[in-house]
Amino acid sequence: MDDTRDPQLLKGVLPMLVLAVLRGGESYGYELVTRLQDAGLADLGAGTLYPVLNRLEREGRVSSRLVASTSGPARKYYVPTDAGTAELDRAERSWHRLSATVARVLDTDAPPTTSTDPSRGTR
Amino acid sequence: MSTLPLRDLLVRETFLARFSWAVQDYPKPDRLVRELRRELTATATDVGMRRAVADLGHPRVLAEGYLASLDRRVPRWATGATWAALAVGAVAYLLVAYAFGTLDTLEDLGGGSVTRTALGATTVYTSTDDGLSVATEGSWQWAVLYAALFGVVFVLGSRLWRAWPSGGAVRRAPA
Repeated sequence: MDDTRDPQLLKGVLPMLVLAVLRGGESYGYELVTRLQDAGLADLGAGTLYPVLNRLEREGRVSSRLVASTSGPARKYYVPTDAGTAELDRAERSWHRLSATVARVLDTDAPPTTSTDPSRGTR
Repeated sequence: MSTLPLRDLLVRETFLARFSWAVQDYPKPDRLVRELRRELTATATDVGMRRAVADLGHPRVLAEGYLASLDRRVPRWATGATWAALAVGAVAYLLVAYAFGTLDTLEDLGGGSVTRTALGATTVYTSTDDGLSVATEGSWQWAVLYAALFGVVFVLGSRLWRAWPSGGAVRRAPA
């Protein structure tokens, strides 16, 4: 299986994924990175995620608070706001619609795998 | 107060210095750098400073990520100022080089004095056995030249037109 991922595709859905992970519980930046990596985005780096978090916070979709840590400096924990939760719901619906459409188109245009008749080639 | 080892401190601050330069056009970049410093320090307690810094990628690419997250492009003030200062410096360097060349010529000719007037400023180049000298005076024309040069290069280098939202807005495709 080809695991190469289009960075532009990831960029488009990353805010939604961040909000989805945060919906499960507040988290700090690096923990979010590892959770998304564990979920399958193995090549996701903190450098990709932090600007997204920054933008979500600037747009009021997540809020943050500093939590003191016993092992080091305070960490900044993020949690979705009401606007962020609403945005996540909207993005999820949009994603499912798009995903279904893409799947339908790909299935329609996929070359038949069982046909051996050379006269039935696809255009 | 940081209790990081000196080596980690250097790694972190070197990265942040490069990031700070690259992200200078972001609104309130100091705040961004402070947040990143805190994040790096906290992450380093889990994975070490080198790994924490490596995970951020190249500082310029990271800065571009932040700048791209803005709704519109912003002027690059520091870049404009740097280019403008270099342009003015280049002209000043050429004038000094011209003065040295003139004095060298005078010296090769056995000494003497020559007067040149440009843009309303008279400059006297003198070469004698006692030494070399250049005496000049300022003029408003030169002041205008320097100001215009600085201004034009600053405007172009800083992309000043981005300060106006209608001119610098990033077009976004409808979702």
